[in-house]
Amino acid sequence: MFQLVKLQYKSFFRSASMGGSLFAKIFAWLGIIYFTLMAIAIGFIHGTGISVLNPDADNKIEFPFEWINENLIYAFAYWIVLRYILQKIPIVNIRQLLLTPMKKSKVIRFAVNRTNFSTFNLMSIFYLVPFSLTVYSMGDLDSNKLIFWNISIIAIVYITNYLNIVLNKRDSLVLIIAGVLILFRALEYWDFLDFTVYSKIIFTSFYNQPVLVLIPIGLLAYTYYSVIRFFRFGLYIDTGLQVQVAEASQDDFKFLNRFGEMAKFLRNDFRLIKRSKRARNTALMGIGFVLYGLIFLWAQDIYGDTMLIFGYLFSTGGFMFTFCGLVPSWDSQHYSFMMCQNIKYIDYLKSKWYLGCLGIGIATLLASPIYAYFGLFHFVAIICCGVYNLGLNSYLTLWAGAFTKSKVDLDSMKNAMGDSKAFNSKTLLLTIPQMVVPVVVYLVVSKFFTPMIGCFAIGILGAVGVFFRKPVFKLIIQTYKTEKYSTLSAYKETN
Amino acid sequence: MIKFNNISKTYSKQTVLDVESLEIQPGQAFGLVGNNGAGKTTLFSTLLDLIKPSTGEVLNNDINVRTSEDWKSFTSAFLDESFLIGYLMPEEYFYFVGELRNFSKKQVDDFLTDFEDLFNNEILGGKKYIRDLSKGNQKKVGIVAALIGDPKVIVLDEPFANLDPTTQIRLKKIIKNLSKKEDVTVLVSSHDLQDVTEVSDRIVLLEKGLIIKDIKKTTKTLKDLESYFTKE
Repeated sequence: MFQLVKLQYKSFFRSASMGGSLFAKIFAWLGIIYFTLMAIAIGFIHGTGISVLNPDADNKIEFPFEWINENLIYAFAYWIVLRYILQKIPIVNIRQLLLTPMKKSKVIRFAVNRTNFSTFNLMSIFYLVPFSLTVYSMGDLDSNKLIFWNISIIAIVYITNYLNIVLNKRDSLVLIIAGVLILFRALEYWDFLDFTVYSKIIFTSFYNQPVLVLIPIGLLAYTYYSVIRFFRFGLYIDTGLQVQVAEASQDDFKFLNRFGEMAKFLRNDFRLIKRSKRARNTALMGIGFVLYGLIFLWAQDIYGDTMLIFGYLFSTGGFMFTFCGLVPSWDSQHYSFMMCQNIKYIDYLKSKWYLGCLGIGIATLLASPIYAYFGLFHFVAIICCGVYNLGLNSYLTLWAGAFTKSKVDLDSMKNAMGDSKAFNSKTLLLTIPQMVVPVVVYLVVSKFFTPMIGCFAIGILGAVGVFFRKPVFKLIIQTYKTEKYSTLSAYKETN
Repeated sequence: MIKFNNISKTYSKQTVLDVESLEIQPGQAFGLVGNNGAGKTTLFSTLLDLIKPSTGEVLNNDINVRTSEDWKSFTSAFLDESFLIGYLMPEEYFYFVGELRNFSKKQVDDFLTDFEDLFNNEILGGKKYIRDLSKGNQKKVGIVAALIGDPKVIVLDEPFANLDPTTQIRLKKIIKNLSKKEDVTVLVSSHDLQDVTEVSDRIVLLEKGLIIKDIKKTTKTLKDLESYFTKE
């Protein structure tokens, strides 16, 4: 086991992009500490029955313990979906290890056990423990029973952890879970059926009958060994590690011809989105961000308009941030080819910029009718945020790309244990400066004038940016040229 | 003409390439031999501006490859799989390279008819993306793509490795035909002395980054090279 830990340690510290990786790691850790503290704090607050989002005295929940048992079922469903989207499956690069004189089961167990320490699991413990302490101190609950209840719930959390590993390859199952979740929520909302009445009985019984703890524990053991078995028998070069090949067909995307010189590059990007699972997920996730503004719209009372701008920037620029944030990593597997071909940097980057702009355009088109429903201000805000993304953030994303040297494995779906997650904390990190500036501009301008003028200020900034394309591109190209060699060598790295 | 002036590459004190001067005339079939780590790929990479040399400059038809991108219009290469776009079908890949080199679809199709033998019905018209082809077939795709669009300088790193005997023989024929053209310079590297001597008319032997031999091919060349590598 120790050798495997050492391998992981080496692969992290010896990677070429170690500097950037370390920086991102530090930020990731700060984020983890923040969320841990939040989980603990929310645990305590929920324990007292005070609503976190709306801390009015009349909203206080009288029996927090009943409340949590009612809502746990949703928490688990959300957790599964969220895990599927965000949680990386930390499996060591296993193919090489198959031929070493290490027992297969040992390799697998190491990889699976690593997931035990995933933030998703620890976070729920950080929430549950302070919650339980508070409800215990406030009410007349039995301490022993409460401990057994905690064990049961944590066991279920771990069941979702292992389920996620197996589900990871099956998009349809997760879509079904998400669909059922939405259906039950809707049924409950329109008073057809309150599913939580039944689930509450189940979860409460873990408290009332501590013996029932054996059920989740048993299920946990069963899922754990199923995961081990799943990999144990899926791990042959010709079965588990290779997926049957889908029949290929040619795609010309003729409508792209109107983009002239850019068409040849755009065509390949469209093919990439169509044919690579990872690219497709990233693109879909970007489009999904269109709805992101709704969260801030509903929470407007708490966060105010300023955060609304933040949400709208994501709504219109989601695709640009997630997909174009991985330029040039999408071409990492054939970057040396691109660098030798008869391609001018300007054409290459411009085509990526067009793609980003296309994404912003479509997202803005989709978002504007949705948000216009809530009033003229929201419509104007969406348009202005779209323009800002177009005129300024698109350049920043491209520019930042020159420093993003993480290799994207497009064929990872061939690998049963490959990391097929369309999420990169580093690229999300880089969006912070892109968000802070417009939000601050809005905050200042709307303070002195009206919120509407605040939006216009953002829009004008973006519109000005559009006119600076030529000099800005010159700068970006210069950066790409200086970074070229280290990018090439970083892409050569495997894993 | 290709000129390497005082090119060297050093990775933390270890020099992997040190070529004082090397000139390759247009129309030459240039072969590069040497053991693993001799610097063959490094030399080609400096020509293609894929790595930054520690000293010196490379001129490709009087264009400094590091300061201008103009050499890209008449130079093509296939070094390894990173020259393939896995998610494209072979046809799409050929058309894409054609577009970059101002070849119409029709011209690419005509061009590809010469390679029907080489492809052996396994590449064109199949229902596979390049990523799903076998290693050997991937290599064929990469090499043929490097020949599209009448490039004047063609760089092939280890083109014969991992190919089956029939394909090797066909490929040698293709390379020989290419180098017959007056203005086309072909640069080939290989471990296999026989392959290299067969296709090139000038052979340079690299060892630990240094040029040990630089010879015009004669009937004795293969023997010479073999005796060099067998010496203690």
